[in-house]
Amino acid sequence: MLMEPTRRHPHPAPPAGLRERWTHDVLVVGGGHAGIEAALAAARLGARVALVTQRADRIGEMSCNPAIGGLGKGQIVKEIDALGGVMGRVADETGIQFRMLNTRKGAAVQAPRCQSDRHLYREAATRYVLEQPGVEVVEGDAQSLVFVDGPLDHLETRERERARWVGGVRLADGRELRAGAVVLTTGTFLRAVMHTGESTAAGGRAGEASAEGLSADLELLGIRLGRLKTGTPPRLLRDSIDWSRLDEQTGDERPQPFSWSTDRARFPLQPQIACHITWTNERTHDVIRANIHRSPMYAGRIQGVGPRYCPSVEDKVMRFADKERHQLFLEPESLTTDWIYANGVSTSLPAEVQEAFVRSIPGLERAEFLRHGYAVEYDFVQPSQLYDTYALRSVPGLSLAGQINGTSGYEEAGAQGLMAGANAALWIAEREAFVLGRHEAYIGVLTDDLVVSNPTEPYRMFTSRAEYRLLLRQDNADARLTERAAELGLVGDEQLAEFREHTRRMDALKRKLGELRVPGGAKSFEEHLRRPDVSLADLAATTPELAEWAGATQLLDSVETDVKYAGYVERQRLDVERLQRQESTEIPADFDFSGLTGMGTEAREVLARLRPRTLGSASRISGVRPPDVALLAIHLERHRRQGAGA
Amino acid sequence: MSSGSTVAAVASPPGKGARAVLRVSGPETSRLLAAVWAGDDPVPAARGMYPGRFDDGRGTQPLLLLLMPGPRSYTREDVAEFHLPGSPPLVAAALERLIELGAQPAPPGEFTRRAFLNGRLDLTRAEGVLSLVTARSEGERRAATLLLGGGLLDRIGALRAQLDVLRALCEASLDFDETDTGHVPEDELTERAEAVSRGLNEALAWERAREPERGLPQVVLVGVPNAGKSLLFNRLTHGEALVSLEAGTTRDALRGTWTVGDSEVELWDTAGVESADGDVERAAQGIGLALREGADLRLWVVDGGRPPAELAAEREALGTGAGRFLVWNQVDRPGVPAEPPEDLRRGLAGWAAISAAGGGGVPELERRVEACLGLSGGAGGEARELSARHRDALAAAIRTLESGLAAFRAGAPLELFAENLRAATAELDRISGRTTPEDLLDRIFGQFCIGK
Repeated sequence: MLMEPTRRHPHPAPPAGLRERWTHDVLVVGGGHAGIEAALAAARLGARVALVTQRADRIGEMSCNPAIGGLGKGQIVKEIDALGGVMGRVADETGIQFRMLNTRKGAAVQAPRCQSDRHLYREAATRYVLEQPGVEVVEGDAQSLVFVDGPLDHLETRERERARWVGGVRLADGRELRAGAVVLTTGTFLRAVMHTGESTAAGGRAGEASAEGLSADLELLGIRLGRLKTGTPPRLLRDSIDWSRLDEQTGDERPQPFSWSTDRARFPLQPQIACHITWTNERTHDVIRANIHRSPMYAGRIQGVGPRYCPSVEDKVMRFADKERHQLFLEPESLTTDWIYANGVSTSLPAEVQEAFVRSIPGLERAEFLRHGYAVEYDFVQPSQLYDTYALRSVPGLSLAGQINGTSGYEEAGAQGLMAGANAALWIAEREAFVLGRHEAYIGVLTDDLVVSNPTEPYRMFTSRAEYRLLLRQDNADARLTERAAELGLVGDEQLAEFREHTRRMDALKRKLGELRVPGGAKSFEEHLRRPDVSLADLAATTPELAEWAGATQLLDSVETDVKYAGYVERQRLDVERLQRQESTEIPADFDFSGLTGMGTEAREVLARLRPRTLGSASRISGVRPPDVALLAIHLERHRRQGAGA
Repeated sequence: MSSGSTVAAVASPPGKGARAVLRVSGPETSRLLAAVWAGDDPVPAARGMYPGRFDDGRGTQPLLLLLMPGPRSYTREDVAEFHLPGSPPLVAAALERLIELGAQPAPPGEFTRRAFLNGRLDLTRAEGVLSLVTARSEGERRAATLLLGGGLLDRIGALRAQLDVLRALCEASLDFDETDTGHVPEDELTERAEAVSRGLNEALAWERAREPERGLPQVVLVGVPNAGKSLLFNRLTHGEALVSLEAGTTRDALRGTWTVGDSEVELWDTAGVESADGDVERAAQGIGLALREGADLRLWVVDGGRPPAELAAEREALGTGAGRFLVWNQVDRPGVPAEPPEDLRRGLAGWAAISAAGGGGVPELERRVEACLGLSGGAGGEARELSARHRDALAAAIRTLESGLAAFRAGAPLELFAENLRAATAELDRISGRTTPEDLLDRIFGQFCIGK
């Protein structure tokens, strides 16, 4: 077989000489959603981990919306769970409203979302970190990277000039931590500036400092940075809102947890609350329009680009001038505090303007502000410099995960953290890298998109980004990932045993459906179930032979979808198989794209710039045509043969 | 494209009056052959050439099968070449049938890639072929723009835009809450899908109707009477035209098929430019002129023994441009220079020195003409396959769209409909470029104010 896939890391493992001075195996800088999953995943794989955070009491803080999941994102949470991560479990323990979204559409695009009590969430996440053997929490301000000497001859000449091995971090108080790999998960904290109207302050989150030194170190290493913007809405005092005038939105009657580890008998653990809905109006829009010149974005004080999918209220009003009203969700941040998150009016207008427009909204006439909305502008690393292990291509020992890579969202961050932490630990242990494909997981789509892109707005997951959406359902994340995770050591025996039991029951039910005949016909139950109007729950409730499964809602839903989607799934599976070889044909880290004779200039240049990791990844780049891919395949083969001969 | 799969493609230019070749390569070749082989003879298994019939699922058509079990084939895999009558609808039906049976459509360069990977071609050769394929697809894009400007591409472009809007509506419904996007009524989605489907069917009918206008590359012999055009025509086409040593005996435009390397071109012989006497001559000349206008290449056949001043005048009349090629004839006669003089060659696409009577120099002529037409090196016919591929892509897009629409009407969920739309778009992408998820998101964000 030619071009047999190997899962390689971009750099040779750290030489033995360096290992003597390590205080840890892996350092994770940042205690956000990426940092938590990174630290836990590395530790589950046996690494000694230090999680370095400015404030140990802020581990797992929900900086923005206190919600987990959502369309495209809920699937990621289920995948993190299937890979042994904690985001789903923490959400289950702390959720105060659970909703399955898109229930009126098909199973492949349904996604769970929950609102969590932000304080409970932080506490539970912190507890998981503290209880994980092998993780030490180090409170301190990581100011700079520690460079060490290591082999660089595997890098390209132009990269070698500025490249250094990273072997640790130096804290503001002078302490130095040494490790084989450093995973930066500093979120929006790199050279972060917060804007509210004309006033600006350094900092990545209200009340917390910016990380200044690390950006400079990254630039020293020749890493290209960009600038992005994100925003957050005002927080209002619960008792200042006139709730009686607002529509209520409650959670699902029978909420479903994210995690397979969550005990369904005790779920949900927290009392469930309702959210409320209100709308902006013309008066609101007038206030915003009259003051638009005072918005840092519109006044040009913010250079970074904000997300289109989560626009500020300024953007909504200015860009969609014909829309008469915009919706707001008033979401309690906690069961025990008075903070209400005004979802839908993210803004960086001056404080008095925020107060004026918010008080023009029904129910909020006397709203009191606990915190004003603000925008954060921050450095991010152009993610095309990453390998798909989340290690930087040109800096051995340094990996990046989360918003630092230009993404948005806790879920996207957690997923990257898990993959980055796991791969850092695997690299040090001299084990094969762990990379997911686009057809295996949304995490694979996320990774593959990132490493060939230079985002101009924070990257958020959408189901439309996944070509194999029908394969990547939230309810089959465990079937897609858990066995593999267990092989690696990411998932414990207990979770694996539960998964196998669940699979056994599903398989038994499927067999049964194939055997049972519809009364008065030759059709099997399975064939019968393919019809859109037939429900398995109904069949199970009325067929004695299926009594064993009756009431197992999630299992029945999964099996029903498997049966109903079988034809489409088969087609997508064939597509995947066809592409598999291409997907798994790796492009070596040292491959010289400029030597691609015979290829058009445009294709060669874009390949050299984005340096795709696999042939499949190369084939999806705009401007690269099928003949270019064939030519690339041939050059890769030559490269391989020469390598083997040398 | 995995090397383990079996691929199929039209391997020869499908033109009116020519035969078409469908090439299949891969481990499934014998299964596919068994499935399409019709007739009383047993399904061939050994290397060789077999007359038979091809069952395309709707009927059968005459077939000449060339079977080359691996490793004695171009790709070293099992290869079957189906030589079929050059009728575009029949060829399309045959290819469609092979794909239905599990063959994958071969992307450009795929046969070459396999040949290389299986050790059949060395690297230099493979690189050469593929860079040519790359150049060809660029040329193809330009050719498509030129040839089909105002035609298929415009139609496809407009339909793609409609399809993209429809997809954006579906994707927005799937990726965002209804509070964000508003509810898009199912009726609107199905109406839009029907409109696209109607448009695609019209485009396909239009493309089918106009296909016979085009065909193989057109090569026309021009020159004064008795320059040796007819003799050359006869030699190149293996005897289809009248040959006479008396001036002006070619009374009509004659057509024949000339095999140039791996490909075929349509060769025309026309009346000489000077002999417009009788009515028949005039008519023939009219045809000749028309052909010269529309030809891909004009071979200017010259008797090298004529006085230089006459040749210069003739050269003047011929004009300049990429589509002109000098054939320096009669080099085997004493006193005729072995090569045309420099001033005659200037500004032409190329030249060759031959003896139409003796056959000397003809292989070199073919090589140079092949290069001029961009047919060389196994990449031949890419541009001329264009129309067949377009029809194929259109038909596949229509099938996908219509089956998705039917299922959606019967109650299948929106995401399955969206999957059909995605697949249909991917088919159209084979004609006019690709839509990325980013493009869709751009559309969604342009249309809806989204996000809390």
